[in-house]
Amino acid sequence: MVTQILDPTDERVPIKRQLTPRPEALHGTIALLDISKPRGDVFLDRLEQLLHERAPGVETRRFMKPTVAKPAPQPIKDAILEECDFVIEALAD
Amino acid sequence: MHPPTKFSLLDADGQEMQFPPRGPILLALVKEDCDTCNLTLPLLEAVHRDTDDGLDVWVAVQKTDDIPVLKERHDLTMPLLDDDALDLSYETDIDTVPTLFLYDEEQNCTLQTFGFDKHEWREIAGESMTLAGRPGVETSIDWESLPEQRPGCGARNYEPGVYERLQAIKSGDLLSRLVDLASSDDIHDFMYDQGYTDGFPVVPPTRERVWKMLQGTTRDPQDEVAIVPPNLAPITVEKVAINAVMAGAKPEYLPSIIALVEVACTESFNIHGVLATTMGATPVGIFNGPIRDRIGMNYLHGALGSGNRANAAIGRALRLCARNVGGSVPGGTDRATQGGPHRLTMNFAENEDASPWDSLAVEYGFEPTDDVATLMAMSGGPATIADERSRDGRGMAGTLAASMSAMQDPKSPMVDTLVVLSPDHAGIFGRSGWSKDDVRECIMEETAIPLKHRLRSDDAGAGLPPSVVERFGGEAALDRPVPKFADKSNIILVVAGSSAAKFSTILGGWATGVYSTPTSANIGPNGALSIRSRGGSKMDKRQSGGRDLGAFEPSFRETGTSDVEE
Repeated sequence: MVTQILDPTDERVPIKRQLTPRPEALHGTIALLDISKPRGDVFLDRLEQLLHERAPGVETRRFMKPTVAKPAPQPIKDAILEECDFVIEALAD
Repeated sequence: MHPPTKFSLLDADGQEMQFPPRGPILLALVKEDCDTCNLTLPLLEAVHRDTDDGLDVWVAVQKTDDIPVLKERHDLTMPLLDDDALDLSYETDIDTVPTLFLYDEEQNCTLQTFGFDKHEWREIAGESMTLAGRPGVETSIDWESLPEQRPGCGARNYEPGVYERLQAIKSGDLLSRLVDLASSDDIHDFMYDQGYTDGFPVVPPTRERVWKMLQGTTRDPQDEVAIVPPNLAPITVEKVAINAVMAGAKPEYLPSIIALVEVACTESFNIHGVLATTMGATPVGIFNGPIRDRIGMNYLHGALGSGNRANAAIGRALRLCARNVGGSVPGGTDRATQGGPHRLTMNFAENEDASPWDSLAVEYGFEPTDDVATLMAMSGGPATIADERSRDGRGMAGTLAASMSAMQDPKSPMVDTLVVLSPDHAGIFGRSGWSKDDVRECIMEETAIPLKHRLRSDDAGAGLPPSVVERFGGEAALDRPVPKFADKSNIILVVAGSSAAKFSTILGGWATGVYSTPTSANIGPNGALSIRSRGGSKMDKRQSGGRDLGAFEPSFRETGTSDVEE
């Protein structure tokens, strides 16, 4: 099965990705990623509270980008990938 | 074959083994389905046991699944290293198993061999005992029971398919972005969804396939071939190769495809205009010279159509380069009103043997022995001309003229028109002793009609505006013949197809032809050796093929040439 191909274009445009299959149920650990936008923490606090109430078996772990202006540093992406099963990102203020 | 200096592999228990170890070591590389490896593995085990702690004996196995098989079959206790990824095999570039490297305590490789040569193996076994601190002591190996010599087997890293994969991944030749597919992706749907295709499925450009394609040229994969409009994106040899793979090309086509990309991107050919025009033009490739047979092009039955890999893939590869790198996409900068099936691919070779004349390439200034590809921009056709009655040149030229007089519309002047004569039609001219120019002059004469018949009218809206009458000299000029074609050289004559029947084909050029001039490349192993615009001298590949010709006004010309002169 082909799993990787070389890009035939001039590479000016990002690859359009398909969404990964949606899970049947929540389980394991959910990463809550604050992108450093104002009040992202308020949103994630409430979300975390609701998750703990409604999905008691699920753990949450908080992450935060150092700046909203740049993509997440690789160590944060690696940590989310390694430690978590899902990620919820608070996008904006 | 290079003795390794440093590597790390896992052993059968998953423990990481760092090379070099502290002391002397005998390192072997083997695979399971090799009789000579199976003959020699017990010998290596004997050396391992006889040298005790004085010498390490490590055996790298070229497949993970073979490790337990070999361990059990030969009751092995020495470390068996997993080289399933073939990292070590690739680094050492072994082509035969078994291969042995003996290192002293200073990590110098002092002896090496491959296959089984009893003399050499005995020397290595003896030296192993010496390095282990037991000089002069024989191993427990019964040398007398062993054959003098056994050839080794081909190493897995050189197996077809595996070798290409290793080169593609490890050589560092390929720098294009890797696109990961999800397990749920269908490769063909994915590539279509990304906009990579011309609507038909393409061959997925895996690293292995692209690396193999690049073997068709010695040119550096990162060499820039051209700047491709409309995005004005640089295209490297690697990008040409990726699109060539997708088009279904073979490595031997790559120099031709590179050459066509170079030709297409000259200002002379002007691929920008060709693919942006609302008239729906497309590059048509015509090949001359020995390359036609060398890469298996079709110039016989069905030459203009489907069924031949070289014809189809070379033209398609050029179109995919223009689409994927140049960004020419229908509805985007490709504004073709309707287009046509020849816009997928249109590329063929001239049937030079069946032609009574010099080939197109020779006519354009090349030698008969040159490998030449000529691109011309065609928007119309292919349209069939049927004439099974003509027996001489005059009759045949008259039939062509009658058909060509209506190209685009009967009133409008044209410039380039490609006439692809079948061998039977070309043979009529040959037997009548007609040259190409004889044919052209007859067509020029037959297609010239009085100015009044080229003017717009209430009955047919196309044609020249009435205002041109004054510029021709007023009312008196209304009966003066005005040619259909600007110049006889705009009637391009080639021969292709088989002698099946008396049918030929015409294709109409794009927008009077001056915005794109037929442009040819002398093809070498790395692409175009030289590029020449019709009627012009050789030019630099990047140089403009044309000067500003202004708007073409064929109706005001009576003589002269529209050739682009460099």
